[in-house]
Amino acid sequence: MESGGIIMSVNPHTRPGDEQYVELLTQLQAIDFVLVELNLYLDTHPHDANAIEQFNELTQRRWKLANDFEALYGPLMNFGHSYSGYPWQWNDTPWPWQV
Amino acid sequence: MNSQTRVYFPYVSPFDPCPPIRVKTYQVPPQLFIGFQPENLPQFSPMEALKRGTLWPALYSPYNPAASRGERGDHHER
Repeated sequence: MESGGIIMSVNPHTRPGDEQYVELLTQLQAIDFVLVELNLYLDTHPHDANAIEQFNELTQRRWKLANDFEALYGPLMNFGHSYSGYPWQWNDTPWPWQV
Repeated sequence: MNSQTRVYFPYVSPFDPCPPIRVKTYQVPPQLFIGFQPENLPQFSPMEALKRGTLWPALYSPYNPAASRGERGDHHER
């Protein structure tokens, strides 16, 4: 399912906190870390076009990955930054500190 | 020993009550020797970057706690 850090396809049959949940969250964490690194780098190198291109590509990938994850496992953020299914999903476990 | 590890030899007092540590090492961080970071440096994969704590191999500093570097005192001959 994973090839070079890129999600090929997701399995729609999920249980809370299953293997795919951990896998997707780990990938999201890795991409977010690279985005932090590039963000800090670009603060001092605002004219590095390659880095900006990489930053934007990764932002797009991050956005898609987060959407896929939320569609499968529920919201990553609250207060209007993620959608919820019915019934209200925000208080479903596992919570971040339980993973 | 990698190039980020430096060595020094502390003075050993004849009155030292503890076993002397004759060789001590310390780590120098790689960013000290880079100056302004050049563009287009080689990168780790995202997973590797997450694990190592930096996106760029040139800025990677391995963490070697003193214990694993073998800094122990000699045993005193009594």
